[in-house]
Amino acid sequence: MAEAAARRWPERALGAGVILFALAAVEAAVRAKWVNPALIPAPTDVAARVAQIVGSGEVLAPLGTTLYLLFAAYFAASALAIATGLLMGRFPAFYNLLEPLVEVLRPLPKPALLPPLILFLGLGDAMKLTIIGLGVFFPVLINTVQGVRGVDRVLVDTGHTFRCGRAALLLRIVLPAAMPLILAGMRVALGLGLILVVIAEMLSGTGGIGYLIIDMQRSFRVQHMYAWIVILAVLGYALNFVFLKLEQRVIHWALARPD
Amino acid sequence: MAACLELAGISKSFSAGAAAETRALADITLDVADGEFLAVVGPSGCGKSTLLQIAAALIAPSAGEVRFRGERVTAPPEGMVYLFQQYSKSLFAWRTVIDNVAFAVEHRPGMTRRAAREHSRRFLGMVGLSEFGERYPWQLSGGMQQRVAIARALAAEPRVLLMDEPFSAVDALTRLELHGLILELWTAQGFTAVLVTHDVDEAVFLADRVAVLSARPATVVRTLATGLPRPRDNLATREDPRFLALRHDLLSMLLKRPHG
Repeated sequence: MAEAAARRWPERALGAGVILFALAAVEAAVRAKWVNPALIPAPTDVAARVAQIVGSGEVLAPLGTTLYLLFAAYFAASALAIATGLLMGRFPAFYNLLEPLVEVLRPLPKPALLPPLILFLGLGDAMKLTIIGLGVFFPVLINTVQGVRGVDRVLVDTGHTFRCGRAALLLRIVLPAAMPLILAGMRVALGLGLILVVIAEMLSGTGGIGYLIIDMQRSFRVQHMYAWIVILAVLGYALNFVFLKLEQRVIHWALARPD
Repeated sequence: MAACLELAGISKSFSAGAAAETRALADITLDVADGEFLAVVGPSGCGKSTLLQIAAALIAPSAGEVRFRGERVTAPPEGMVYLFQQYSKSLFAWRTVIDNVAFAVEHRPGMTRRAAREHSRRFLGMVGLSEFGERYPWQLSGGMQQRVAIARALAAEPRVLLMDEPFSAVDALTRLELHGLILELWTAQGFTAVLVTHDVDEAVFLADRVAVLSARPATVVRTLATGLPRPRDNLATREDPRFLALRHDLLSMLLKRPHG
């Protein structure tokens, strides 16, 4: 592992170099007044703005709002999707009952549901949690169903021959065996959840990072707008990073296995 | 000796969609005495594994019934364990070796995880893997994985151990080692053993009695007692003229050649 990383580092350094080069080019273009600084501020100015927002603690309230909405909807919808997926994957009756409905709802781009949701739920947290939850639910459900249906019959029969009950079979054999696919679905869902929380906040106009990005644009505070976009990008990167670390802990056995 | 496991008139047909049913097993009757080692041999694809899965109540027969200690079996009974051919699929990759073995008993009422582990150490020791309890199954060789599966099966303290070609996926030398191990454990633990195999040498070497199945739909062509002395030895027993004669008889039956 360490050896492979050591062999990769010159390429990684080159990749980072591309980012730095692009930023330097933009910086030079702004300083030389080739572009309108009202549209594109200098990266160093944006960086200074990010430092100020973070340093002053101004970042905390919007970040807290966005993370609360994202996590509340993400964990509730994931739990519901895993429970539903276990039932659909294990019991053909459930599968036949729900599969057509899932297939109709799944391909629909979830932002299309925002207008009707706003009619029913208004612009508050209920609407935001619902749209994020809907976005998270389907990828987790689809992967759970696929994971559960793919559990080898030998594993299930092993549970039977040792006389473990239905609940133990589901929780101690089927769930862990399906976990690699469930987590893959949850990773996709985390990205979708972040997209949806930003869109919902932009529409509702009541707070959070998404709201600030659009609010700063409307009030011509372009540096602030870019600063919040940068903060959102870092948040997205950090969420994915933490997810991968947790995944590594939960299914280390599947990642380390040779086959 | 009293029959421990009785297969009475077992038939099994599989329906393949709208197509005609295929008959896998046709009216198979076999009794296994308490403490006996029975081997079932037959050509590949004859339904030996299906028969064993019916005996374990993992699948239901189309006709006939299974009785275990005189009682009709409809669900996997306490005291009977099935050992799978595909040990690597049967072991839980997310559990350590000791926790794999502990699975055998952790569903018993009042059993704690810690007590299940304590119970399991003894059985892991019996298969010579005491040192490997904290490893994961996929970190072990094929032969060691099958030892873990054997330890797990025995940890349930079965009266009957049903073995589905358990030695067919390991290399030839490992197979001989596992033969020795299973006989040792069978002698020490005194369970009843039913082994399904396509390996005639294996059947004769291990068993008290060998049942020969025909091709599909399978019926019992013959059962014969091996009568070889115990303890059996990997070298001496396999060179015994009686071993060779039995092997000859069984192979000629399976290959459908006249006796030479």
